[in-house]
Amino acid sequence: MNIILRELRTSIKSLLIWCSVFAVLVTMYLTEFSAFANNDEMVDLLDSMPEGMMEAFRFNSFNMTTLTGFFGLLFTYFTLVLCIHAILKGNSIIAKEERDKTVEFTLVLPVRRSRIVFAKLIAAVVNCALILAFLYGFIIISIQKYLPEENFMKFFSLVILGTFITQMIFLSIGILLGCSIKQYKKSGYIGASIILITYIMTIFIDLNEKLDFLKYITPFKYFDTLLIKNELTLDWTYVIISLAVISVCLAIGFVTYRKRDLYI
Amino acid sequence: MKVIEISNLTKFYGKNRGIEDVSLSVEEGEIFGFVGPNGAGKSTTIRLMLSLIYPTSGQALIFGKDCIKFGHEIRNDIGYLPSEVFYYDRMKVKDLLKYSASFYKGNHTKRIKELADIMELDLNRKIDELSYGNKKKVGIVQGLLHQPKLIMMDEPTSGLDPLMQHKFFDLILEENKKGATVFFSSHILGEVQKLCSRVAIIKEGNIIKTEKIKSLLNDTYKKVFIRTGKNAGDATKFPGVSNLEIIDGEIRFLYKGDINDLIGLISKNKINDVNIEEPTLEEIFMHYYQ
Repeated sequence: MNIILRELRTSIKSLLIWCSVFAVLVTMYLTEFSAFANNDEMVDLLDSMPEGMMEAFRFNSFNMTTLTGFFGLLFTYFTLVLCIHAILKGNSIIAKEERDKTVEFTLVLPVRRSRIVFAKLIAAVVNCALILAFLYGFIIISIQKYLPEENFMKFFSLVILGTFITQMIFLSIGILLGCSIKQYKKSGYIGASIILITYIMTIFIDLNEKLDFLKYITPFKYFDTLLIKNELTLDWTYVIISLAVISVCLAIGFVTYRKRDLYI
Repeated sequence: MKVIEISNLTKFYGKNRGIEDVSLSVEEGEIFGFVGPNGAGKSTTIRLMLSLIYPTSGQALIFGKDCIKFGHEIRNDIGYLPSEVFYYDRMKVKDLLKYSASFYKGNHTKRIKELADIMELDLNRKIDELSYGNKKKVGIVQGLLHQPKLIMMDEPTSGLDPLMQHKFFDLILEENKKGATVFFSSHILGEVQKLCSRVAIIKEGNIIKTEKIKSLLNDTYKKVFIRTGKNAGDATKFPGVSNLEIIDGEIRFLYKGDINDLIGLISKNKINDVNIEEPTLEEIFMHYYQ
């Protein structure tokens, strides 16, 4: 428990920064949305865009003048940012002990290594959840004046839930990297590359139907806002795949960290 | 009871040697010195005992328990002072010590205050504001606050001024009197000689000698210096004499053997002055280091 509390205490500052950045972003985008909201002229303008561009920006799938359409598009980017945070957090919460050379203190305490990793995992999950919860609350409060459509709350809550699961996937990959790679610098690079590659995959899937199988590989596609918009549910296949990926990453992470030499 | 029992412990970092086939044991209540030049494998051995790293082969028992399997239990009773101290920079000394204490059974607030007073450590400073020496003091307090049964120290005195070193040694001796076993790695022989009863010498990953300090000092050469007006030719034939130098009636040599024989020889001659000296521990260790 004391490890969890200490980790949370040290992350208060970064939590506040993340939350304020999101608050500013959401406020900015909503100012933009105020120009779109129920504005038929804007629909005409968007419709007149070239087909290729419409597809690349997914304007043909989402109606930008409704909250559902607007957040359906926008939230993909928020998810990306949250996942970058999650994978880096997962990696650094483990690897920082070696980076800051505090292993000779922390791991000489009378606790099992697995308990340390577990406590850090909990702290990181709380961290990710708090940022997401803040974002959720802040958006819900901010959009009240736009009178959200009937299904928006359900749609948006599912998007948040999907994002949370995606965050957890990347968090567990981050934990795995921090646990298994001795050189903390390397694990950071690998984490960043994984995000980049999986995100680029989502763009390729949209552009080329032959690459459709990639949707099982990139977690960014597991809970696509478009699917949530159309079906108003999360796809159970992907929930199960997600849980499997999370468990495997964490299991390998725990085992390797228990057995490996620490980098001092 | 044996507090530490290491048998055939070997550690390779890839192809690089850490330690090779190290065996030693430390009895309860002993202050055991672990001496060797830089890179000999002192820290590796200690880190293996703390299961920060894992051996390639061999094993280490601490309090009779395997140091890997029961690592977390064993560490309840170990106080460790690393050679370089790193803590969470943004914490206050007080909070860090409290945090550390929270992992050990019992209430250690009083002991923290006592130790901080002895070491003249300001508990309200932030860790990253502290000098190297002051960080070391935090390490000492942190290592001793739970009254460990085994104190492991890896070159503990670097960064401490002589006065603090003195206080620190008193502290260690006091803990030892209360029953703590001390494993003390160092390359400063003066402090080893002052504190330790037994010592192991490690060189290039191998233990080359484990010996009581007393017998190390006794069972060795004497440095002999004799001034005499006469020619001292017959000394050369005397058994046990080596490194003989004769300059203007001054004779210097190293002698190993029964001291009575030497005194006997000297008393048969008329001499002006004689000086028989113990070699310093430094000189003995240099002999092993080379």
